[in-house]
Amino acid sequence: MSIRRFLSVCALTLLGALSALSPAQAQQDPLLETIKKRGKLQVGFSSFVPWAMRDKQGQWVGFEIDVSTKLAQDLGVQLELIPTAWDAIIPSLIAGKFDLIIGGMTITPARQEQIDFTSAYSTSGQGIAASRQLASQLKWPEGYNSPNVTFTCRRGVAGCRTVEEKWPKATLRQFDDDAMAFQEVINGNAHAVISSEPKPSFFTLANPGKLFKPAAENVVNTYEGFGLRKGNPASLANFNGWITKNQAWLKQRHEYWFRTQDWAAQVPKL
Amino acid sequence: MRENIPDQPGSLIAPRPAPPERKLPWGRLDAFWLLLIAALLAAGALRAQGAFSYEWNWSSVWPYIIKTDPKTGQWAPNLLVQGLLTTLRLALWGMALALAIGLLMGWMRNHPRLLLRLISASYVMTVRNIPPVVFVFVFVYFIASQFMPSLALDQRLSELPASAQEVLAVLFGPAALINNFFLGLVCLSVFSGAYVTEIVRAGLQAVPPGQAEAARSLGMSEGDSLRFVVWPQALRQVLPALSGQFIQLIKDSSLVSLVSIQELTFMAQDVQVSTQRVFEVFVLTAAVYFCICFVLSQSLAYLERRHARAR
Repeated sequence: MSIRRFLSVCALTLLGALSALSPAQAQQDPLLETIKKRGKLQVGFSSFVPWAMRDKQGQWVGFEIDVSTKLAQDLGVQLELIPTAWDAIIPSLIAGKFDLIIGGMTITPARQEQIDFTSAYSTSGQGIAASRQLASQLKWPEGYNSPNVTFTCRRGVAGCRTVEEKWPKATLRQFDDDAMAFQEVINGNAHAVISSEPKPSFFTLANPGKLFKPAAENVVNTYEGFGLRKGNPASLANFNGWITKNQAWLKQRHEYWFRTQDWAAQVPKL
Repeated sequence: MRENIPDQPGSLIAPRPAPPERKLPWGRLDAFWLLLIAALLAAGALRAQGAFSYEWNWSSVWPYIIKTDPKTGQWAPNLLVQGLLTTLRLALWGMALALAIGLLMGWMRNHPRLLLRLISASYVMTVRNIPPVVFVFVFVYFIASQFMPSLALDQRLSELPASAQEVLAVLFGPAALINNFFLGLVCLSVFSGAYVTEIVRAGLQAVPPGQAEAARSLGMSEGDSLRFVVWPQALRQVLPALSGQFIQLIKDSSLVSLVSIQELTFMAQDVQVSTQRVFEVFVLTAAVYFCICFVLSQSLAYLERRHARAR
């Protein structure tokens, strides 16, 4: 291949790459109008017990599903649920695959650089479940700050940051989903797993011989909001108004999914 | 190139004389090795069982394959079967589309015109030199998001008559997920098409130039020479490589689960989270992929044998 030909191939490849990288045309129209015109509210979320999960019939149930359903009803539109891989949920929102993230997403400054959040519609916390075999001798919490201690978390969740901040010396291993992160601790390959409550409590109850909770209270309290693309101030205010108006209802639904296990019969036994 | 192609009847090598006496295919040494391997595997499995404190529980996974409808009491496919159907549709249409792209681009890659060669070369180089996972993300978020919304497939679909919608649902899956499906399909075919292009190019180049020259000297036109002499030989040569690429395509289809295409792997992850039965779902998913790929590879091998005989 001659130099000239090689260079022209390079140039063409680069051109293709550049044209692909140019940003999508920004949509100017406010979000709410688009939703009303479409007659459908598209909500992105990811499966996460008990926020959103599949019941035995394969249907979605969970706290987020209740919230999304009521929001769509109050807007007078249909609801379209768009399950999305958690890793790519923010890029998907930005690329316009759906209108809102209602996915138990904790409001963090890093995320706020990319998307807007409504005010908190739910408060929850991160908890820790630790391995009886490896961690029962460790002193809480300072004993966990050691290079010999391994934490696990689901990649991309706020808990991973908590570990880095609170136990900077510990090793952190990240998994694609929560179930694998917990299994690693149950297998005795890692000392502790961090995840949003009530999951650490549920797992400890289900595996009493393998897991224990080093602290009864939450490690960190977190606040969850709806995620929106930037540049929709009117819609943001509107959703904030909806959250304020429905505080009592939201609290009651939150109690139901997070404090009770009345819904356990709908889903396979944990 | 030629060394890789298995002996085919009709090749220039004279057929081997039949061996005088048929020996037993199994000797004592073979049995010994087989036993040794089995023993090692069993020991490994036992060790893993010890290190791996996991209680297998398949009961909560089965309902996600087939469910009983509470109202009618009839059986209906649940998430895993729905995901499997999407994977099969992706595989089938993906193969067709990747083959179409590969034939066109492979032809362009050998074309006397520089521009066509350049376009095809840039395509192959771009796709082949990017890791698959990165390609999937870049393609979906930078390229497909530019043109997919303007196609408005789901809207066009809803304007079609009901009978047409039913046919399309069988071919491409539920109407509500049509955008999702096409996104995955295009992504997979563009990715796989680059590899098919290289296979087709290799096949075309493996046909000795004398063949085309002979065809021309017999008075065939350029097109006829390609159609009757060059392409048939090229395609026959690349059949084994193509079947390998098709099997690869099925396995690659699990990559699009990263961008939330609701095929088997994506559904399996959903079921994992909902049931908390991680390993059961993994094992089941692996077995399903194995079955699909095994059946495909066997049928392609049959096709190859039949083609070899037909020569």
